[in-house]
Amino acid sequence: MIATLRLPQQLRLELPLRQDASGRFLPWVIALIVYLSVSGGLALIWLSDALHGWDAAVGGALTLQVPADTSTARLEMTLGALKQTKGVVDARLLDTAETAKLIQPWLGNSFPLDSLPLPRLVDVQVDPDVAIDFATLRRQLASIVPNAQLDNNTAAPSDVPRFAGRVEWTIAIGIVAVTALLVAIIVFAARIGLAIHRSLIELLHLLGAADEYIARQFQIHALWLGLRGAIIGGIAAAVTAMILEPAAGRLALPVPAVSSGILDWRLWLLLCVALVIAGGVAMVTARVTVLRQLARLP
Amino acid sequence: MVGLENIGKRYGTDAEILHDVSLRLDPGGFYFLTGVSGAGKTTLLKIIYLAEPPSRGRVTLFDTNVATTDRAAHTALRRRVGIVFQDYRLVEHLSVRDNVALPLRIAGAPEREIRENVPELLSWMGLEGKLEVRPATLSGGEQQRVAIARAIVRRPDLLIADEPTANVDDDIAMLLVRVFERINKLGTTVLIATHDIAFARQFAHRRFHLDKGVLSVASDRAPTR
Repeated sequence: MIATLRLPQQLRLELPLRQDASGRFLPWVIALIVYLSVSGGLALIWLSDALHGWDAAVGGALTLQVPADTSTARLEMTLGALKQTKGVVDARLLDTAETAKLIQPWLGNSFPLDSLPLPRLVDVQVDPDVAIDFATLRRQLASIVPNAQLDNNTAAPSDVPRFAGRVEWTIAIGIVAVTALLVAIIVFAARIGLAIHRSLIELLHLLGAADEYIARQFQIHALWLGLRGAIIGGIAAAVTAMILEPAAGRLALPVPAVSSGILDWRLWLLLCVALVIAGGVAMVTARVTVLRQLARLP
Repeated sequence: MVGLENIGKRYGTDAEILHDVSLRLDPGGFYFLTGVSGAGKTTLLKIIYLAEPPSRGRVTLFDTNVATTDRAAHTALRRRVGIVFQDYRLVEHLSVRDNVALPLRIAGAPEREIRENVPELLSWMGLEGKLEVRPATLSGGEQQRVAIARAIVRRPDLLIADEPTANVDDDIAMLLVRVFERINKLGTTVLIATHDIAFARQFAHRRFHLDKGVLSVASDRAPTR
C-alpha cells in the first residue's frame, strides 16, 4: 500500500514527525485534492477537445432550404447571389439522393422518400473570419425565392464557446482553490507539528541546530506526504479516466464527449505536474511556515 | 570567555529576577554557581547559553557581543557550548548512540567520525553495551552520563551543567565532579550550577553565589587552570 511506504533511512529525521497523526490523514487529504485537480484538468482538456470538434463539425457552414417546386432558374439565381455575397466561400446544391440520405435516419429505410416533396438544400461554406450581413442576405434570397429559409449553423453554437469558456474558468478557479486548500492544510499541519515537538525543537536549537536544519526535517516529511498523496490521487484520477473513456464512447453524440483516454500523453503530463506541484507545494509551504515560526525563538 | 555586565531579567511585567548581575568566566576555568532553588541560577545559565535574552545589560560569549550579532552567529556560538540540563532532556525515540551523536549530526560531522567517536566516548563514560538502547530503559545515573556525553561530544569550549548532582547520592556526585574536572583538564571551561552550597565548598574552585537575583563571589580561589 502506497500510504504505508516509509522514507529511506538515509533521510534521517531527528524529530519523530512520522509518528504524528498528520502523517496518517494528510496523504489522503492531499490525494483527494490531487484527484479533484487532475479530474478538473482532464475536464478542461476534454472540454477544449469537444469545442474544437464542434467547430470542425458545424462551424463555417450555412444551410439554405428552398421549396421543392422551385424552378431551376431561381435555383441558379440563388446560387449566384450566394457566391457573390462577401464571406461566402462556396455554395453547392445538394442532389435529391444526398438530401434523402440526410433525412433517412429520422424516417427509416422502409419509408418511401420518393413520395415526399423534399425541399432542395444548398450547402453554403463561409469564411468564419468574415462577418456576413444575414439580414441583407435573407432579404436578397427572399426576393428570388419567397419561401427560402437560411439556417445559420454558425450563429447558434456561438453561445456554446462562450458557455464553455465560463466552464473552463470555473474549473480553473476550482483547481487554484484546491491548491490553496493544500497550502492551508500543510500550514496547519506544520504548525501542529511545531507545537507537538516544541520542546525537542528547542533542544535542537540549543544544541546548535540552524533554523534550516530543523526546517529541513519538516520539509522532507511534507514532501514525502505530498508525494504519497499525489500518487494515490493520481492513480484514482487515471482510473476515473479509464472508466469514463469507454462509457462516453458509447454515447451517440455529434462530437466525441471524451476525446482523450488513458493513452493520451496529456493525462500523463497532468499526473506528472500534479505530482511535482503537490510535493513541491507541500515542501515549500512546510519550509516557509517552520522558518517563520523558528524566527520567533531567541 | 564569558562576560556578563549589569544583567537584568524579567518575564513580561513580573518583578525582575536577576538584578545587575556581572560575572566573568576565564578560559579553562572551573566554576560553581550556587544558590537556593528560585534564586535565578537556571535563568542566568539560560542567558549564558543563549536560550533567553537578558532584559538589560550586555552578554559577551567567546569575545562576541551577542546583542550585535545575528541568528547565524548565535548558532555558531551555541555549537561551542555543551549543556547538561537538569532534566537531561534526552530524546526518547533515539537510541543512546543517536542521542550522543545529535550535536555532531547537527554540526554536519561525517558519519564515519560519528561511528568512531561516539562509541569511544560512551565507553569512557562507562556506557559500553548501552549504545542501542533507548534512554527510558536506563537508570537515572546512566541517563545523566548520556546527557554529559552528549554535552562534551563536540569538545565544547564551555560546558554548563545545571544541577547535575541534584538527583544522585554523594558518592556519585563526587564522581561526576571528577568527570567534569577531567573534561576541564582537556581545556574546557566548566560552570556547574548547584543548590548544594556545602557540596560545592568541598572543591577548590571559584564559586559564585546567587541570592534573590543578586550575584556575589563566594570564593575567590583561582581557577584550577
